Amino acid sequence: MHFSDLGNISLIVALGFAIYTVVLAVLGATRNIPQLVASARRSLLAVTFFLLLASATLIVSFLTHDFGVSYVAQHSSLAMPWYYTTSAFYGGQEGSLLYWALMLSIFSAVFVFTAKRAPAALVPYIMATLAGIEIFLLAMLTTVSSPFVRLPAPVPDGVGLNPLLMDPGMLIHPPMLLMGYMSFSLPFAFAVAAMITGKLDSEWLRAIRRWTLVSWAIQTTGLILGAWWAYHVLGWGGYWGWDPVENAALLPWLTATAFLHSTMVQERRGMLKVWNLGLVIASFALSIFGTFEVRSGIISSVHSFAYSAIGGYFLAFLGIIIVFSTGLFIYRLPRLRPEQEFDSVISREGSFLLNNLLLVGIAFAILWGTLFPLISDAFSHQTMTVGPPFYDQVSRPLFIVLILAMGIGPLLAWRRTSTRALRRNLAIPALAAAVCAAVLPVGGIRDIWANIAFAVCSFTICAILYEIWRGVRVRHLHGEPYPLALYMLFERYRQRYGGYLVHLGLVMLALGVIGSHFFQVQQDAVLKPGQEINIAGYKLVYFGNIDRKYPDTEIITSQLQVWHDGKLQQYIYPGRQFYANFGNQPASIISITTYGLTDLYVFLAEWTGPAEATIRVFVNPLVPLVWLGGLVMVLGGIICWWPERRRRRVVFSEAVGEPEAEPAMAGAARNGKGPPGSSITQGVLHDGKDEHEGRRKRPIPSQLHSRPYALKDEEEEMEVASPYALKGDDEETEVAR
Amino acid sequence: MKRRRSLLLCIAILAIVGSIWSYVLITAPPQETLDQREHDVASQLKCLVCQGESVADSPALLSQQMRAIIRQQLQSGKSEQEVIQYFVSRYGNRILWSPPWQGFTLLAWLIPIGLLLGGALLLFFVLRGWLTQANAASPGDGALTLEGMDESELAQYRQQIEKELQEVELDFQLGNLAEGDYRSLHERYTRRAVLATKSHHKHEQELDKKIEERLRTMREEKKNVHAKE
Repeated sequence: MHFSDLGNISLIVALGFAIYTVVLAVLGATRNIPQLVASARRSLLAVTFFLLLASATLIVSFLTHDFGVSYVAQHSSLAMPWYYTTSAFYGGQEGSLLYWALMLSIFSAVFVFTAKRAPAALVPYIMATLAGIEIFLLAMLTTVSSPFVRLPAPVPDGVGLNPLLMDPGMLIHPPMLLMGYMSFSLPFAFAVAAMITGKLDSEWLRAIRRWTLVSWAIQTTGLILGAWWAYHVLGWGGYWGWDPVENAALLPWLTATAFLHSTMVQERRGMLKVWNLGLVIASFALSIFGTFEVRSGIISSVHSFAYSAIGGYFLAFLGIIIVFSTGLFIYRLPRLRPEQEFDSVISREGSFLLNNLLLVGIAFAILWGTLFPLISDAFSHQTMTVGPPFYDQVSRPLFIVLILAMGIGPLLAWRRTSTRALRRNLAIPALAAAVCAAVLPVGGIRDIWANIAFAVCSFTICAILYEIWRGVRVRHLHGEPYPLALYMLFERYRQRYGGYLVHLGLVMLALGVIGSHFFQVQQDAVLKPGQEINIAGYKLVYFGNIDRKYPDTEIITSQLQVWHDGKLQQYIYPGRQFYANFGNQPASIISITTYGLTDLYVFLAEWTGPAEATIRVFVNPLVPLVWLGGLVMVLGGIICWWPERRRRRVVFSEAVGEPEAEPAMAGAARNGKGPPGSSITQGVLHDGKDEHEGRRKRPIPSQLHSRPYALKDEEEEMEVASPYALKGDDEETEVAR
Repeated sequence: MKRRRSLLLCIAILAIVGSIWSYVLITAPPQETLDQREHDVASQLKCLVCQGESVADSPALLSQQMRAIIRQQLQSGKSEQEVIQYFVSRYGNRILWSPPWQGFTLLAWLIPIGLLLGGALLLFFVLRGWLTQANAASPGDGALTLEGMDESELAQYRQQIEKELQEVELDFQLGNLAEGDYRSLHERYTRRAVLATKSHHKHEQELDKKIEERLRTMREEKKNVHAKE
């Protein structure tokens, strides 16, 4: 009996509980026995507990260097610092699978704790779906891919982690991305539950939208961090290489983004129900496809660190998911009758349709490009690579149209937009784009695509800022100082303005991509001490190499001076680090220094002795905008997601002056609602014209809630206005009883 | 008159931008340096000994040699296409970093483009269908389905209308909606709100009746108790 056996035992127990959850949740829902559902809920929490236990066991095994465990021996060594030892937990195949299962169970637990907010009829099916996915992962973990398998005899020291993975970026990027993949199972579970019960109401939509936002934000963070890691570690001067694994992570992001937009059409118009369900299912299927691709190694990639035979199981699982959800989908199709209400193409919903077409089009093109080598191999026996030039050419025009649509979309109103208003709102951004298009070519930008892209980006940035400014101005005109007006705008219309922030972030990111794609300058040089490289206004003077030996690693760095604007800026030390067990895979220590918005990226490619080095220098303009834009996007996503405070507003009518009276009356009010004729309902029955006059008097958007015909929270208002509440204390308590 | 002026302004701006572009980008094509041309060719070729890197990006020895060959051939006056062809004839298609526009691999390019165009066409037809449907239906349509909604659905419906009204209001204030559109949309939603509230009241009245009855019986009971005392 070893300590690590505790992990195995917990996994098996967790598997048992997961199966129990599915059975009980489904039984409880179909037979309508709430006790069974409650039991399933607790059992899902038990799954979380045992997975936490198993993960803790693995981490303890790592930290105590229990090299009797094969996985620990393979992925850590005595010399590794504790943080890399801990992160080795998800550094390999089995551990990352365990990490997945853990994340899924944590999401499930979060769902169970917030289940009160989800539509009650769906809860058991959501739990069953989550537990079903968990069963698959746990079955893999307990049979073919266990991290707790022991070696016949413990080895004295482990192999250690792949040097590429020993980087601070690696501590957060893979767990983020894996978590992102897994988080798509929640929207999927909501979709499955809705298809089973046939309840696709607005409450469901709200819940699934919020969970998708969570996945979206996590996936965005994961993608940005992944790009950042590649930029800082791989040494080719870029951050996105259209590698199959990167593509696989981008695909669910694209479909989730499409869903987040089209779901708003469903929310307001009741249209696109079928399409939205399809997008949710596709997002989840694509995230499983992503893992399958990473695991199976059928498509060669720089990011695959964990090859194994379990790819086949993932393929089977993917097949089951697709068959299962398509079946449900077809079964439910007749009841998904859309309510069609479409006024005009030039409207917000029209722009969302365009957005969906583009995003799904990009997603498909990328998927097709990723799969094409396999197809080509199977049908024409040609080994084919589909590299960045393909993706650049196919997706570039689509992304440009997408960014343009991001500028026009927010200017369109729901339902319809008058062309005159549109023209007026478009004038300033269009002027900005024209100025940009006229100035940049003169300023030396010669590439046609770069000019188009910059003009479009300036259009969109200007359009978004102008839209925000108009909102601020409207509020300011009604007496709010500018900073407060801006804050209130974001506070009141979170979805809308949070979305604008995401768009702004994306345009910033796009500017960074354009800058580094079109204006990257690269130079290689073999240098002897005293020699220099001159590149794009920067001068690098080489001094020599420094070799430092440590017990388990050896670090070689070159010393260089950076001169810019005729001044010595600083010394840089690009280098290589050798790990004892990975002698032929030196990790790169890349020197990246930022001057304004330009990165100077220096990579030590080769070296001979202490006095010769092959240096590769990139000047990457605007790359810092990529990280900044990513940050803004995530921030915008969080603002969109941030829960709205339930505004409990108390109307001070003449009869009831004290807000404190409300709680005591709640019981009474639950039974007795205001009769027609109370002050509020009269307001509702006003005809449109009067309200229009009323609007002129107090038109601050925030006050819409308190306008006479406001309908939200009416129940609370009516509680106070209820006649039964006015009849004196004893009666009130009587009714409450 | 004003409209014509703005149209003229538009044309003028377009003409300025167009002339700058055609002058800078077309009549005076940028002189590419040898370095740039070498990089252009090298980034079209895949490094055969590395994983996922082009010849331009790869630090491998083979790639360095290939870059030298590219440079040499470009200097000797070959065009970029010819240099690429040279490598294809030596290594086959697998050296290309993207599928060539011919034969079977043409599919790699055509299918995404075709599907996108197909999608756009589909969207067009769907939209046209929706528009004709919407025109045929009367504007107050959405509210007719209120019958048969239960209380919670009705509450949701009303909440949604309120959101719509709020959004219409904001868009009007921002100047995205014209006065006329604003009025008609506002009226439409208000009418729906009224209908929803009416049907809400129907529910309420039924509830009220029940409660009144209940209260009456309770009062009677109370009286009886008092009477006994």
